[in-house]
Amino acid sequence: MHHKLRHGLTVASFMAPATVGIVVFFVYPLLSAVYFSFTKFDLLTTPEWVGLRNYRHMFEDSFLGTATRNTLWFVAVMVPARMLGGLGSAMLLTTLKRGSGLYRTIFYLPALAPPVAATLAFVYLLKPGVGPVNTALGHLGVDAPLWFNSPGWSKPSLVLLCLWGVGDVMVLYLAALLDVPTAHLEAASLDGANAWQRFRHVTLPHISPVVVFTAVIGVITTLQYFTQAAVAASAASGQATTGAGISSTFGYPEGSTFTYPLWLYVVGFRYGALGYANALAVVLFVVAFAVSLLLLRRTINPERAS
Amino acid sequence: MRRLVVLVAAVALTAACTPAPKDKPIADPGADVSGTVEFWHFFTDREAEAIDSVVADFQASHPKIKVVVKSGQDDSKMTQAIGGGQGPDVGLSYSTDIVGQFCASGAWLDLAQYIARDKVPMDAFPATVKQYTEFKGKRCAMPVLADAYGLYYNKKLFADAGIANPPKTLEEFAEDAKKLTKRSADGTIQTAGFLPEWGFYENSPAHLGPMVGAGWLKADGTSAIGGDAGWQALLKWQKDLVDWFGYDKLEAFRAGLGDEYSDANAFQKGQVAMNIDGEYRIAFAKDQSPDLQFGVAPMPTSGADRYGSGYVTGNVIGISRTAKNPEAAWELIKYLTTDTKAIVKLANSLKNIPSTKDALASPDLKLDGDFKTFIDIFNHPKTTTTPPSSAGPAYQETFQTFCNTWQSGGAPDLKAGLAGVDKDIDSLLKLGG
Amino acid sequence: MNRQLIWIARHSLAIALCVMFVAPVGFLLLTSLMSDAQALTSSYWPQDWHFENYKDVFAKTPMARYLLNTVLYAGAATVFMLLSSVPAAYALARLRWRGQGTVLVVIVCMMMIPPQVTTVPLYLMWANWGLTGTLWPLVLPMLFGDAFSIFLLRQFLLTIPGEYLDAARVDGCGEWRTLLRVVLPMARPGIAAAALFQFFYAWNDYYGPLLYTSENEENWTLSLGLASFKTVHHVQWNLVSAATILTMVPVAALFFFAQRAFVQGVTLTGVKG
Repeated sequence: MHHKLRHGLTVASFMAPATVGIVVFFVYPLLSAVYFSFTKFDLLTTPEWVGLRNYRHMFEDSFLGTATRNTLWFVAVMVPARMLGGLGSAMLLTTLKRGSGLYRTIFYLPALAPPVAATLAFVYLLKPGVGPVNTALGHLGVDAPLWFNSPGWSKPSLVLLCLWGVGDVMVLYLAALLDVPTAHLEAASLDGANAWQRFRHVTLPHISPVVVFTAVIGVITTLQYFTQAAVAASAASGQATTGAGISSTFGYPEGSTFTYPLWLYVVGFRYGALGYANALAVVLFVVAFAVSLLLLRRTINPERAS
Repeated sequence: MRRLVVLVAAVALTAACTPAPKDKPIADPGADVSGTVEFWHFFTDREAEAIDSVVADFQASHPKIKVVVKSGQDDSKMTQAIGGGQGPDVGLSYSTDIVGQFCASGAWLDLAQYIARDKVPMDAFPATVKQYTEFKGKRCAMPVLADAYGLYYNKKLFADAGIANPPKTLEEFAEDAKKLTKRSADGTIQTAGFLPEWGFYENSPAHLGPMVGAGWLKADGTSAIGGDAGWQALLKWQKDLVDWFGYDKLEAFRAGLGDEYSDANAFQKGQVAMNIDGEYRIAFAKDQSPDLQFGVAPMPTSGADRYGSGYVTGNVIGISRTAKNPEAAWELIKYLTTDTKAIVKLANSLKNIPSTKDALASPDLKLDGDFKTFIDIFNHPKTTTTPPSSAGPAYQETFQTFCNTWQSGGAPDLKAGLAGVDKDIDSLLKLGG
Repeated sequence: MNRQLIWIARHSLAIALCVMFVAPVGFLLLTSLMSDAQALTSSYWPQDWHFENYKDVFAKTPMARYLLNTVLYAGAATVFMLLSSVPAAYALARLRWRGQGTVLVVIVCMMMIPPQVTTVPLYLMWANWGLTGTLWPLVLPMLFGDAFSIFLLRQFLLTIPGEYLDAARVDGCGEWRTLLRVVLPMARPGIAAAALFQFFYAWNDYYGPLLYTSENEENWTLSLGLASFKTVHHVQWNLVSAATILTMVPVAALFFFAQRAFVQGVTLTGVKG
């Protein structure tokens, strides 16, 4: 009994600050969001209770379908792309002994670029007709697409932008890969395992916590993909900005880059329907929660830790 | 469980910490005003310095009032601040988007009492300017400088194509656009007489609507777009022109054009022969492309009686309901919006149109021939603006989204599409605002 | 012979990737040395070189103060995060207690509400406490844990073989001592990663400072300063690019010197038993 109390107090001492954080910075905003989702609210007047009207409107909202589809596309494509890109480049880095510091810094450099500037640079490099990439492709005789100006290529172009910035995911995989005990790898190789088998049976299990992490974080952040889509649309539309994009250009071209969080922002903060925006946020939360729960299942109860 | 309910109630109370607007009693006329005023505006860089200069003049003539200026504050910042019980005494907004919301919610004070007390002559302002600074009879804002939109045309390209005068009707507009277009052998566009795509630079329904005299909202604030024959005519005209160019070819051409806000502006580079833009473009064109020979004219219209009119919008200024010193705030607003010297100084340095008749007629206003055209557009009785709405720019942007679908061929039934636009706008109005 | 070819292939691939990674930054660098008239046009190589753009950036805005604010914000946020998140991550990874799975899920959930929506009640809260106009609303929450960092650190701590901790406990170390004496040295790569991420996130954070300090220029960070070089209808992209490069240099240098922390300290060869 005494032992249990001591253990409980120990846990409490480790978790105390985080517990306060959870209550103030999660429970409180979540309750607010749920509350406001049942109201008509515009920040400037007292919220007015409207029950389920905001949720019902989601079915009548003719634009919501486009926004949702775009965001789901990004989740389906960007998350795996980033994980594979990060893992691949990390593995390459582990094999490069000479100049590893320099390579690592250069590989990571894009992740340090401010998102607005990085997006603008990318849009301008891929500018159809006059940009260096298309000019070079033209010399090679390739009929290059319109990249950010093409409804079919605008999302893949954003995925390219994301892959360009894969440094932060790569760094995590690198740290995890360097943690894999070389003794285990040597033992496996002595047992006759080839490179793929060594990866699958030694490396992968060791780095799986980090893999789960990048998957969950990837899904959560991609569901909230906002800035790059907004800035790319404004820039490709011919109205580049230094800030977070111009809302009348969002989605260019043809609504292909209009994500769910962009719609949430526009409807809540530009059109004054903050109650509806909160309803959208609650739905987004539920989806993120469901997907994360699925991915986290394995890692919640780590039976074996080595 | 009870704890949870209490917590939620506490959340609700803290969140709804926005006091209902009460009519503050205002001072008697001629009372001595002093104190500090916090003034937020959205300008940065050189333009912020222009504002500072005029504010310095104000402080010189009102030594008892001190003004603290914060630049670079946009609408959402102001909304957030006022909603949070803080915010400036005076706020200057870039567009008229917030007028509806701020007037309806009382976030900006009703200025009627101040105007009546100080006998501000409201007929010094043209009608359109008054229209976009009030909402449902409540005047919560005053106009500060305006923008007028008209047609820019490349004189050299016109001469080369043998066109003597800028187009006055929609038919002439399309004809000239086709004549001025140059293509290469494989059909790629080299020069476009006019780039008719929605979303390109300043091509928006708001700016082009006056060409057909189309209306936006009914008296009760719901959408009038679906029932307006003008919009249908405009959209048909626009799509015919887009199809003549070829939508894909037009997109490829547009994709390679320079940014509107850079020196590579397509009109300034002669890649687009005619362009709808605001009066500010004159200064940029003269500054960045001195070799460009261009002219300005009112937009072509579908009815001869409306020729000479155009679209007008502007910056607006108001007093927050959270203002600590509304009297001094009003003095600043009065100065910035009615003092002719101040308005002329601002107009000259920011290269916008002054918003009072006296300032428009002032000899100190730096006018050149081209700028005068915009002043005429501004003064034209049939010139229109986009009305304030409690849902901000929702009606314009919803319509713009439809127009984008329309021009790419994604909406074959125009009437049904427009009816859908009405429905979407009306439901957005009910949702928010 | 084969090994040499593989070596060449690997380095060629790495160099090709380097070119792709550097190209957009190179674009920004070239733009920063152009005249205002040439920036964001189709000529991508500066016609004449304007090194004074970098001087102009400092002349037009108090970049030095923004830099100081950014360093303070990022530094404080990182330190506070480590103080609160490392113990929490350890408790979630290596202590056994009822409900830890649920708490982990809750912590991950903290990241799932769109920030546009959480800022509304939080801004009201900070406004009521009079802290808007400062960077405190961004720094103080770090004292109470950061969800991303806790999750990250927890996953890293899971990769440390349990034998080391068992050994320490058998030797009589309490959990705090185990954490500080045994685990932290071994968890250095993970902690370094979490610290760097937090630092870089705060360094480039635009929305946070925009929301809380935009009306108080003294507290602006570099990311807000980047948006200063514009008028309503024109942006001076050459200056924006110069300011962007200036923003990137310190953190790139920091990363270059800190990335060794990923390599050292982790030689978990030979696990006993």
